[in-house]
Amino acid sequence: MLTSTVILIILSLFLGIAAWLIFIWAVKKGEFDDVEGPKYRMMDDDDD
Amino acid sequence: MPFCCHGCQGAYRIITGAGLGQFYRRRDWQEQGVPDSVFQTDYDDGYLQQFVRETAAGAELSLLIEGIRCATCVWLIERILASQPGVVSARVNFGTHRLQLVFNAAATTSSALVAALSRIGYLARPFTREAAQRQAEDSRRSLLIRFGTAAFLSMQLMGYSFALYAGYLQGIDATTRQIMQVFAALVTTPVVFYAGFPFLAGAWHSLRNRAPNMDLLISLGVLVAYGYSLWAMLADREVYFDTAAMIVTLILLGRLLENAARGMAGSGIDRLLRLSPELATRLRDSGQQERIPSVNLRPGDRILVASGQRFPVDGLIAKGTTEADEAIVTGEAIPVLRGPGSAVIAGALNLTCSVEVTVSRPAEDSFVARIIRLVEEAQSRKAPIQSLADRLAVVFVPLVVAISGLTCLYWLLAKNDPSSAILNGVAVMVVACPCALGLATPTAVLVATGAAAARGILFRGGDILEATARVRVAALDKTGTITRGLPEVKKIVPATGSAHELLTLAARLEQASTHPLARGIMRAAAEKMIVVDSAPVQNMPGQGLALTTGENVLRAGTRDFLAGCGIPLPPETETQSLTEVHLSIDAQYQGAIYLDDALRPEAPAAIAALKELGIEPVMLTGDHNSAAQRVAAPLSIPFFARLTPAQKAAWVSTTQTRDRPVLMVGDGINDAPALSAASVGCAMAGGSDIALDNSNLALTRPDLGKVAQAAKIARRSLTIIHQNLFWAFFYNILMLPLAAAGQLTPIHAAAAMAASSVCVVGNSLRLRRGA
Repeated sequence: MLTSTVILIILSLFLGIAAWLIFIWAVKKGEFDDVEGPKYRMMDDDDD
Repeated sequence: MPFCCHGCQGAYRIITGAGLGQFYRRRDWQEQGVPDSVFQTDYDDGYLQQFVRETAAGAELSLLIEGIRCATCVWLIERILASQPGVVSARVNFGTHRLQLVFNAAATTSSALVAALSRIGYLARPFTREAAQRQAEDSRRSLLIRFGTAAFLSMQLMGYSFALYAGYLQGIDATTRQIMQVFAALVTTPVVFYAGFPFLAGAWHSLRNRAPNMDLLISLGVLVAYGYSLWAMLADREVYFDTAAMIVTLILLGRLLENAARGMAGSGIDRLLRLSPELATRLRDSGQQERIPSVNLRPGDRILVASGQRFPVDGLIAKGTTEADEAIVTGEAIPVLRGPGSAVIAGALNLTCSVEVTVSRPAEDSFVARIIRLVEEAQSRKAPIQSLADRLAVVFVPLVVAISGLTCLYWLLAKNDPSSAILNGVAVMVVACPCALGLATPTAVLVATGAAAARGILFRGGDILEATARVRVAALDKTGTITRGLPEVKKIVPATGSAHELLTLAARLEQASTHPLARGIMRAAAEKMIVVDSAPVQNMPGQGLALTTGENVLRAGTRDFLAGCGIPLPPETETQSLTEVHLSIDAQYQGAIYLDDALRPEAPAAIAALKELGIEPVMLTGDHNSAAQRVAAPLSIPFFARLTPAQKAAWVSTTQTRDRPVLMVGDGINDAPALSAASVGCAMAGGSDIALDNSNLALTRPDLGKVAQAAKIARRSLTIIHQNLFWAFFYNILMLPLAAAGQLTPIHAAAAMAASSVCVVGNSLRLRRGA
């Protein structure tokens, strides 16, 4: 019972770390540099 | 083919592209356009090459785009560039107007892409990132990463903490508790030492300067909570890891919110610098033209400035006469006539004709450059506004440390119990660390700025809210702030016939002109339902208009213009403060139309509202005395006329004292130094970018009444912030004696922390209503 709790906790930590790494990657890539434009960009019709 | 503007040129391309070229043979229009050369952005590849960076994806070029007005411009630019051969990617940042262009250098050239942009009416300039700017960007990103990390780890931590709280209440076996505590310690360590690093560094700095500040208090609380928890974990007692992590996370969130509110500030100076073109056309003695960087121009050089271009440096006109739009520099909307010998300023737009200019000052000493220096000086002189929490920390930190020390001493000496002495001393520090303090100001600021934004008032951060609440004097610019900035027809004085006939005559002449006076006359004509046919009107810049019909010559313009055409005029009347337009048919004087820049309709009520709040309104203007008198008299406010931008700023700094902060309201570049010298600079909508960027407070609607409303909202939020701080400290101070007496259990401490946070957030939410 205790072992499985520990394993589950560690598993959840790994899941969390994956999400955290994606966040870091997004910041480094500059995804948060322009927070104003995208809300207009989604209105564009993308034909190409 | 000559065109009058980019828009017409773009329309021409679309029309001919659709095979409808005969439009231009059918239409009835004779006015001369502007020479084609105006629209050639003649950057050659060699010049652009120095801004191109080679990356793995291809050649990369950063451009600053002039002419972006809305999100659709961004869309268009990206689509047009994407359709060009060799372009890998093109992204425009809507906030900063920067284009990031990646292209294949083998398939296309940078100048071809810039030309593609100018074909659709956008002027591109190479953009070099200054070191300081890059640094600001990096620090913003690092703050975001620190907050993201802290938030993610705190979420994990909450799981373990809840298990521990439940265990405290319901019982938990020792091994599980130990494991939970180890995991809690594991996730808290990076929060304290990585995410909390800015606070630790700030605290170290403040210790070395012997100036206790908020950072010191935060670090002390975090480190003590963390250190004690580590010890408690080993000694098998209750841990406080969540306190340490939440303090860091919440305060980082507060800083992030404040940072976001300031977002755009600072880029204004950069954009102002870019007002004056980087390249100039110099005329050699031999008459040859050469393109050289503007910074290399020396006094005495002769340069050519085509119509539609901005003047690169200050100078005197040597040849030619033109109208210059200096609105962006002086804030005055009406174009001014500049003939041989008159001075032109860098950054002003040459509207009608090509002129030759003799350089009078090098680029770094131009009017715009001097304004930039004034602004920068004023900004650097302004001491960072000490936040209320910081001022409290000066008293609070030593107090807490002292109480903690006394507790320790008491238990050690009076009770002779070293273990309880350390435990209780630490408990005082933990409970004293104001967790809710991290929330007190940011939540109130967030709610208040959000509520204000919905009313068209934008505060650039919490300190501005605080400063606005304390304002005692409101300095108001005249043109565009108290007045509309648009001339209106005030009086029609026909020499013969009716007023209606005179207005119809004026409308026939003025219908095609974009001059603000003409627009004023056309508005008046539209109100009277006067409709006129379009006609080939001849435009004499700065003088007037003439229309030759089958039998008559109609004229409208200044007194001098009509007199110069040999038309007898009645003697001048005492209306010097009004702008006059005189009209004639052939040699027959028809009368005059008087225009005036009217007060904003809400001005009297707005001034009254300011006075009611105990804020003293004052008018500052660059205009002459009689014009100022006419505006100020009906409002019964004091005024100061004939002020240069520097004098305005000086007036603000001398009037401003610690107890009497000044709010400056303005809209033009000429107000920029005063805006940044004032405690609070407030820019009105429709003003120039530079005024907006140098303001701490921006009004998105041109409504003077918003100024008083902003002050009201600010005062209310300051009250709420004070209440929040009181609650945040109140709980801690209430708990201090308990902790010192050794009576505090962990669950009480946790409950007190939660209660104080809920109090603070709930209190802040009250700001959403009313005001």
